[in-house]
Amino acid sequence: MTRRRTPSVLAIAMIAISALSACGSGGGSSGTGKTLHVLVSANTIYPEQQRAWFTDVSARFKRETGATLTFETFATPNDELTKIQTSVLSGQGPDVYSLGTTFTPTAYATGAFLVLGRADWDTIGGRDKFLPATLGISGPDRDHEVGVPFTTRPFVMAYNKDLLAAAGIDKPADSWDGLLAQAKRVTTGGTYGLAVGYGDSFDPWKFVWAMSLQAGNPLVDKGRARLDDATTMKAYQTYLGWIATDHVVDPAAVGWKNAQALAAFGAGKAAFVPMVSATSKVSLDKSAVAGRYGYTIMPTIPPGATALPAGGVGAASILSGDNLVVARYTRNKDLALALIKMLTSQDLQENYYRTFGEMPTNAQAAASLRGDPALAAMVESASRSVATPFTGAWSQIQLALVNVVVQSVPSVSTGRVDSAALRSLLGQAQSSAQAALDKAK
Amino acid sequence: MQRQRPLWMLVPGGVLAALLIVVPLAVAVQISLLDLDQYSFRQWLGAPFVGVRNYHEALTRSPLAHSILVSTGYAATVTVVTLPLGVAAALATHNRFAGRAVVRSAFLIPFVLPSFVVGTLWRIILQPAGVANRVLDPLGVPTGLWLNGPRSFWALVIVQAWAAWPLVYLLTLAGLQTLDRDLHEAAALDGAGWWAKLRYVIFPCLRGPVSLAMLISFLHDINNFALPFVLFGVPSPHDVEVLPVLTYIESFQNFRFGLSAAMAVLSVALIAVPIAVYLRAVKLDVGEEARTT
Amino acid sequence: MTDVLPGRRARRDPEVTQLLPRPLRTLVIAVLLAVVGAPMLYMVLASVNSDLAVARGAVLPTGLHLDNYVRIWSTVSLDRGLVNSVAVAGTVAVVCALVAVCSAYVLVLHGFRGRLAILRGLLALQTIPGTLVLLPVFVLFASASTALGIQVIGTRWALFVTYLTFSLPFSTWVMVTYLRGLPRELDEAARIDGASSWRILTRIITPLSWPGLVVSAIFAFLLGWNDVLFASVLTNPDTRTAAVALQVFGATQEGGAIPVYGQLMAAALVCALPVVVVYLVFQRYLVSGLAAGGVK
Repeated sequence: MTRRRTPSVLAIAMIAISALSACGSGGGSSGTGKTLHVLVSANTIYPEQQRAWFTDVSARFKRETGATLTFETFATPNDELTKIQTSVLSGQGPDVYSLGTTFTPTAYATGAFLVLGRADWDTIGGRDKFLPATLGISGPDRDHEVGVPFTTRPFVMAYNKDLLAAAGIDKPADSWDGLLAQAKRVTTGGTYGLAVGYGDSFDPWKFVWAMSLQAGNPLVDKGRARLDDATTMKAYQTYLGWIATDHVVDPAAVGWKNAQALAAFGAGKAAFVPMVSATSKVSLDKSAVAGRYGYTIMPTIPPGATALPAGGVGAASILSGDNLVVARYTRNKDLALALIKMLTSQDLQENYYRTFGEMPTNAQAAASLRGDPALAAMVESASRSVATPFTGAWSQIQLALVNVVVQSVPSVSTGRVDSAALRSLLGQAQSSAQAALDKAK
Repeated sequence: MQRQRPLWMLVPGGVLAALLIVVPLAVAVQISLLDLDQYSFRQWLGAPFVGVRNYHEALTRSPLAHSILVSTGYAATVTVVTLPLGVAAALATHNRFAGRAVVRSAFLIPFVLPSFVVGTLWRIILQPAGVANRVLDPLGVPTGLWLNGPRSFWALVIVQAWAAWPLVYLLTLAGLQTLDRDLHEAAALDGAGWWAKLRYVIFPCLRGPVSLAMLISFLHDINNFALPFVLFGVPSPHDVEVLPVLTYIESFQNFRFGLSAAMAVLSVALIAVPIAVYLRAVKLDVGEEARTT
Repeated sequence: MTDVLPGRRARRDPEVTQLLPRPLRTLVIAVLLAVVGAPMLYMVLASVNSDLAVARGAVLPTGLHLDNYVRIWSTVSLDRGLVNSVAVAGTVAVVCALVAVCSAYVLVLHGFRGRLAILRGLLALQTIPGTLVLLPVFVLFASASTALGIQVIGTRWALFVTYLTFSLPFSTWVMVTYLRGLPRELDEAARIDGASSWRILTRIITPLSWPGLVVSAIFAFLLGWNDVLFASVLTNPDTRTAAVALQVFGATQEGGAIPVYGQLMAAALVCALPVVVVYLVFQRYLVSGLAAGGVK
């Protein structure tokens, strides 16, 4: 019996080795033709359509260039960040990345991505090919651009037509104070004026940024952080007050992600859901409020005001969407540019909108959609979107802004907005934002 | 007879440990001495050398001290909570009864579930309008916020204890099986009641396996990244800002790789102290030094 | 396990080893089963509930949404993740147990200078947090591929080597305690017969150590199956593990998606199933494997 033991151990080891090698060969350029690797965000709303799109685009790219295209997906912005960091460190990884707009400044700061020269822009079809507004966050200035706009996802607000009509409201307000007044009128019993995800890791700062900017504070001003400004304080008080003291938001929303806020709206339990993009249309058209809701831009008049104050910017949304960037370590720059040219062409952009509901950055494609009434709010929001400050420290500032909300949630859930505590949290956020800006190069 | 010592058999394990643990640790220490951030990591070896400045910053101007307090406090609480659960479970399933195999297996399930799954499950259970509050409300338990605020610490303790107690159970059960039957018979002859038997005969014999179980579970708790990360997300609520999440945020969200490495090195050093004390106290060797000649 | 004389077993009075009075025992078991079972039951219920009902915190399903179990396969490529996880974690389990028994054999049956340091190191190594070595390990793999001209990152090998290394300390330590329980005479008798160390290990020690090997293998398997931290940076879509695939469900995308909590629970159950099965199958060995050497 013991005689057979060694061979069996060896056999196990052999099986183990073959199991590992089976299809473990990842990446590497194949012998025939070149391979281009692309990293994009996983689409959890349209997973199958995304796979089909990958196949179509790869086939077309093969026809046009002869090269093979492989797509990788990342699940969360954190995943993407880690992937970028590790790829940059090792000098190997995807050739082309699709980056969220607010992450583009951080990516630029790493120096890991190709700065596009005039010739490069010409190769992909020229800057004029794009909606001018979408180029706002491609680089710190025109000579140092790394990002090519791929899709634009301006934020808007969805409203429930029935609930508004029942409360005698003819159209959504254009100021935050007006919105609050309307929300109060709608709130009855189990129905709330607003649906907001206070437990979301990404959304809260966008409100604070928009309200601050509308009041004239861009948060970062010539290398100085301005998070301890009175306008920012007012923004936090307004945002947190909705749920804590105004009671126009479901108390459970202290733990909601953005998706849950949308779900509550979809169930007809809230009159407004701010900070949603065109992709929400798919979900809402399958929900209880299908056909009974509309989109409009979010208020552009800051809290406490009835008109845009002097120095205020009437931003309807952050400049949101995806940029395509080319890794500096790529050995397939020409192919990468050819792909970007293809992905930003009119027909592909129109097709992309029809499949995924994401708005084109290609000017001609955008023009052809302008007539669609369902998109009027998105188009308007896109034209009034403002880019967030282009600094390598932005990710840290964003985190500091969200942290203020996270740490305020306990007191908010007991129905208070504690000004002293908020001031101290803002003080901390200010110093970490300033420290990050001081390190920025 | 001079014994041949097949030390070469240690080579595979040794090489792996050296390559993937010792070398990375050295690299981590090196990184902790550099001002490595998003602007410099592309050529990380060229990042400016700043000596112990990261350590200074970690100790004076970062939430590190608070995190150490939270981490050790939570790990110690979990260890204390899981101890009676694990021991009780082991005592209850030691003797044969119909269905024992099923019960034993069921007890192990929380332990084998991936942290990611446990975190996701409990995040949904503990959300403000979630099942936990729905069940607790009619029972008269005050409902409220579990995933942020002062209660979040207890949420973390409860969830981690739920997932970790089977380890104590397993090691205690194994310890019980090594007890000699004579011990039981002697206790029976003395006419000891069940509690006296446990108190004076069984528990003293379990001291070894149980303290080991506590050590291992303490280490697992304190280094658990996935559970708090999934349960609370980032940025962490203040009361559950545990060490692994703090160092993760510092490097992968704030890009302060040097500072993050310094924090991690400090925390390892901190954990190493009680471990060293324990290792000195525990009898690790099998003795019989004479055989080594 | 401890006594081998059949005569003694026959005389055994089952009551003498009784630890808890029957009512107390029943109570303890009932309470603990409820503690373990309630969240598990909820998970099963949620997995057949509609996504929105789970998001609302409904306990009982609004209907039997078994389609959750169908849709998960298309929402993320869970099938490929499961195959990868089985291949990587399974291989790690087997190889880890074999390497561990080699090391433990030397550490237990052969005295040498530094042995104590190694034994202590086995426990000390477990204090190192993954977040500390994540980046350095990555740097190392990256330089290895540059130096050797082979692809490391993104292959299953990278994961295999990483998990193997991090599971070795605990597995070796389990084997050390196990081998300690074996009668020393076995080794000595074989040695006098002139058997080589390798022969003793493979022909005598290993066949007698199955329970210990199983424990080592299971703990290694668990580590590989449950890791998210390393897998998320060391894999690409082809080599992605189930844990990483599952992460996609938890992803919060910018604006627009309705939470897929029902599917999330279904996917979590599917991912947990293999480990639970492995555990249930080897449960018998697990206790005896840890017990045999005396976890003292």
